[in-house]
Amino acid sequence: MADTRTVPSARSRAMVREARHLLFTVAPGAVWIVIFLVLPGAYLMGVAFMTNGPYGLPEMPLSLESFRRLAGFGFLGWSPGNLYTLLRSLWQTLVATGLVVLVAYPIAYYITTCREKWRPIMLLLVVVPSWTNQVIRTFGWMNLLAPGTPLSGLAEGLGLIPPNMGLYPSSFAVTLGLVYNFLPFMVLPLYAAFEKLDTAQVEAARDLFASPVRAFWHAVFPQTLPGLLAGIVLVAIPAFGMYVIPELLGGGKGMMLGNLVATQFAGGANWPLGAAGAILMLIATFIGLFAMRRIGKRLGGGEEVVI
Amino acid sequence: MRKRTLHRGLTLFWWATLAFLYLPLAVVVLFSFNEANSAASFTGISFRWYHQLMGNEEILSAFGNSLVLAITSSVIALGIGCLIGYGMYRHRHRRLGWLIVLIYLPIVLPDIVFGISEMAFFVQIHRLTGLLQPGLPTMVIAHVTFQIPFVALIVYSRFVGLDPTLFEAAKDLYATPAKRVMHFMLPTIKPALISAFFLSFTLSVDDFVISFFTAGPESATLPIYIWGAIKKGVSPEINAIATLMIGAVAIAAILSLLFSRRRPT
Repeated sequence: MADTRTVPSARSRAMVREARHLLFTVAPGAVWIVIFLVLPGAYLMGVAFMTNGPYGLPEMPLSLESFRRLAGFGFLGWSPGNLYTLLRSLWQTLVATGLVVLVAYPIAYYITTCREKWRPIMLLLVVVPSWTNQVIRTFGWMNLLAPGTPLSGLAEGLGLIPPNMGLYPSSFAVTLGLVYNFLPFMVLPLYAAFEKLDTAQVEAARDLFASPVRAFWHAVFPQTLPGLLAGIVLVAIPAFGMYVIPELLGGGKGMMLGNLVATQFAGGANWPLGAAGAILMLIATFIGLFAMRRIGKRLGGGEEVVI
Repeated sequence: MRKRTLHRGLTLFWWATLAFLYLPLAVVVLFSFNEANSAASFTGISFRWYHQLMGNEEILSAFGNSLVLAITSSVIALGIGCLIGYGMYRHRHRRLGWLIVLIYLPIVLPDIVFGISEMAFFVQIHRLTGLLQPGLPTMVIAHVTFQIPFVALIVYSRFVGLDPTLFEAAKDLYATPAKRVMHFMLPTIKPALISAFFLSFTLSVDDFVISFFTAGPESATLPIYIWGAIKKGVSPEINAIATLMIGAVAIAAILSLLFSRRRPT
């Protein structure tokens, strides 16, 4: 009788101790993130469903007004301004991600063909510019693309832009800035994929008289796909929410969703509208993450690569 | 033969990409030594913008804020993140999926949404209670929040890489919990702690968006100051501060190269 009581109690005491240990180690961080991230996030969601007050601050009653405004309905009837901003964000993200892939793919491959002792240095050379503050890097591009600079002069000479305009501000400058900013995020995962590449498959394909294109498509590309997907997640999601680059390089015409959201808050214009924009951004982010996970899973083994 | 052409083409592409990556930084450095006021033409070498920097109180205080923010937030994040990393390792047999999602959250969230939700929240709390006025403390809170996941993941992966029998050995030798922490845990994860600290520090110095939205009127960091200067109309002085920051990054890059080479991996 005594035995049957003491054994479970010793075990349950150990369990209590384990649970307390878990609580002690994990709780401070979890509580911190809940208070300073989950609560603010929940508050922001609440704000999106409130009415815009006189100073741009949220007020009761609850309404869907800000989502209507986001879709373009204002007191002057419907105007497509906000929708254009949304479409421009999607388009810029798509173009920038595509261009980043086009540049990063050969670069990542090239690094793996070089001597092993050079590879870490080459990777470092690719990554180092992104260690500099984003504002400074974008400022560098402002200097390069402003009216009267050699690059702008060249573009003018080629008849690509009207005289005295300069390449910035423009949506071209935003695209360039985005590609510049996110290139390392694509090179790194692709390089990891190339480095693990099973060359036996490529040789087998060549032995079976596959053309280089076919060998690439059937033996190389599928193996790099997990890296590519990881890179797309790392590039497309932050690009969609980008604030600094369109703000500095885009001017009024290059605005993206992030700028729309920020203006509503920083200018104190309309918090609920800004919050609604932020929710839209979150939804897009989670759809993107989920889609990448699904694709990664279907292709097999992508899960540990894709976030 | 064809292979060689391909390789040559790729080499060319590699150098072109490097030029693309370093061109904007080179321009900033070049114009920081420009005698003229304009960014459009380079008239001669001078150090006048650097001289002007030295006397600029605002820049010095922004620099101080950047340092205080980065150090304070990294130390706090190191403590909290380290505990989580260890907890996740010790209890990894449990289903901690919810915890991992929670901890990943700051990484996945777009930084503009992150910064704005913090700002809206702090402003509201301040209106209700008078606490958390926008300034350095709110910036520290925001920075700690995005640093925690990185520290936790680095510490966690260090523990996973260790031989589990080491933990048993420490216990078998009747070390008290305090002694286990002091003589076993801390020394073994020291490399992870150092790299986590440097990563947090870098993330903090590098951040603009989140700082921008949680800053108060007197707590501008260097990137915020530069942002303001750009917005007000470009002053060549910005090139000089930016060059100093690029120089710091270059030194860090060289150090990291030397450091990683010395290790026998």
